[in-house]
Amino acid sequence: MSSKKLNKISSFFLNLKSQPMEIVLFVSASLSIIILFLMLFFVAREGALAFSRFGSDLLFGMQWNLESDLFGGFPLLYGSLMVTFGALLIAIPVGVCTAIFVSEVLPFYLRDPIKSIIELLASIPSVIYGFIGLLIVVPFISSFFGLVSGQTALTASLILSLMTIPTIVSVSGEIISAVPKTYKEAALGLGATKWETIKTVVLPISKSGILASIMLGFGRAIGETIAVSMIAGNQAHTPSSYLEAVYTIPSFIATHMGEAAVGSLEYSALFGLGLILLIITFMVNTLADTVVKRGAQHG
Amino acid sequence: MGSQTKERIFFFALGVPVVICLLAFFWIAATLFTGVGTLNMEFLTTSALQGGAFEMIVGTIYLFLGAAAIAGPIGVFAAIYLVEYAPHGKITRIIDQAINNLAGVPSIIIGLFGYTLFSRQLGFGISLMAGWLTLALMILPIVIRGSEEAIRIVPQSFKQAALALGATKWKSISLTTLIAAAPGIVTSVILGIARVAGETAAILFTSCVIITRGLPSSPLEPVMALSFNMYVQIVARGAPPESVFGMALILFFIVVIFSLVAIILRVYYRKKQPWLH
Repeated sequence: MSSKKLNKISSFFLNLKSQPMEIVLFVSASLSIIILFLMLFFVAREGALAFSRFGSDLLFGMQWNLESDLFGGFPLLYGSLMVTFGALLIAIPVGVCTAIFVSEVLPFYLRDPIKSIIELLASIPSVIYGFIGLLIVVPFISSFFGLVSGQTALTASLILSLMTIPTIVSVSGEIISAVPKTYKEAALGLGATKWETIKTVVLPISKSGILASIMLGFGRAIGETIAVSMIAGNQAHTPSSYLEAVYTIPSFIATHMGEAAVGSLEYSALFGLGLILLIITFMVNTLADTVVKRGAQHG
Repeated sequence: MGSQTKERIFFFALGVPVVICLLAFFWIAATLFTGVGTLNMEFLTTSALQGGAFEMIVGTIYLFLGAAAIAGPIGVFAAIYLVEYAPHGKITRIIDQAINNLAGVPSIIIGLFGYTLFSRQLGFGISLMAGWLTLALMILPIVIRGSEEAIRIVPQSFKQAALALGATKWKSISLTTLIAAAPGIVTSVILGIARVAGETAAILFTSCVIITRGLPSSPLEPVMALSFNMYVQIVARGAPPESVFGMALILFFIVVIFSLVAIILRVYYRKKQPWLH
């Protein structure tokens, strides 16, 4: 028997016990795909009734009225986008500047502690953000602008921006830190100041990563449920200013699921809204992933 | 204006947002601490039927421990596959993408899905079990990503030594790589717990009720939870926020302690793993 053959046989026996384990490992890894498909299937199945009945009116209808069987989600979509953009307007500059400062300017011994505090900010539960919002931001907004109620789109945007900043900081911070040291040293060696190096070397390279972090922040903000439903005032209309109350898709689902009879039109319409939200976040997350990977190839 | 001065101005401008972030955290913590007077041993140990928070605290702990017990092993297995076994190909890329997407699904959708699949389709009803499975979906991506990183930094030579001694691939990984990666894996599970301990939207329809008689005696019974109770008291019952101060503080403590432990573990073991230097 040749030694090659012997090798083959012995390795076959050695690997025999590994085989079932490998299958377990593969199934565990594939579970995420299976879960996502099941999620799409179940949410779409429950929402099918409302979609077949109302079609695009579920997205563009202006009225949500149980008595007259009207289920139009436009005010909710509008509210969601409004608070999300408001939050990003604050979170993008604060988050990106923080990421640059922490990964490029701050002395080394301060980087980990400050990153840790931002990480703590990310782990505070949304119900506590809502609680803090009610306790402090709502009364502040109401007295500052002289409003009857401080539960407005602005209030929600402010709290939501705090919840989005850690996502933007951690993702773009990671990308900025990954810029090769030699690139920066080359620029510094040519006489550039640290700021010029950041502007001409670090930022152009990490541009796509920063963009991706903003998209992930958008996905996080538009899906936020509990905090927003505690402080946004929850009124389904299309507000003309940030000082009016709004209702968002997730908070509308959270507050109406309990009373909707299983299998009813309302129940199905809520799942329909859920499906819209799920598809929005899928698209945003997939896009962010693609942007990061393409950026990595160029970098 | 010299470039030095210009640089200083730019850096100062960049530093302002950082200070905002730090202030925000301390401001939240300080606000919560103003309610520390509402906390006492009696509140922690009396039943909710008598105005305490005992069942909510234990319910919260039950929920995250069960979820971590489900998501932990699956997440570690998935991470081992992705680092050690996965071929560089289309399937691996799709799995990777799926994990990122799962991490980005809003918790309210996870809740809707958990309700239809676990509570209704599988017949678990509004129960601890349905809550475990639903929360496990949220922990899973965190454990996979954290464990992947922990496994990836273990030098190949550890595993190769075992392989050279005749161990199978799985045996070498489980005897060397996994042990070396254990601190990182534990950290990722703790981080996962920190993320779901205060989760509300995902357990809203799947496992919680506002009041129970004592603790659940089986996984098929509903539970009380701090986050759920805070939310329902305020939003559905219109209670003033001050009335849930005690619950908010306990929940904050639980979450911050878990996050801090994870952060400290990570820093500590990064220093202790000599192969990283």
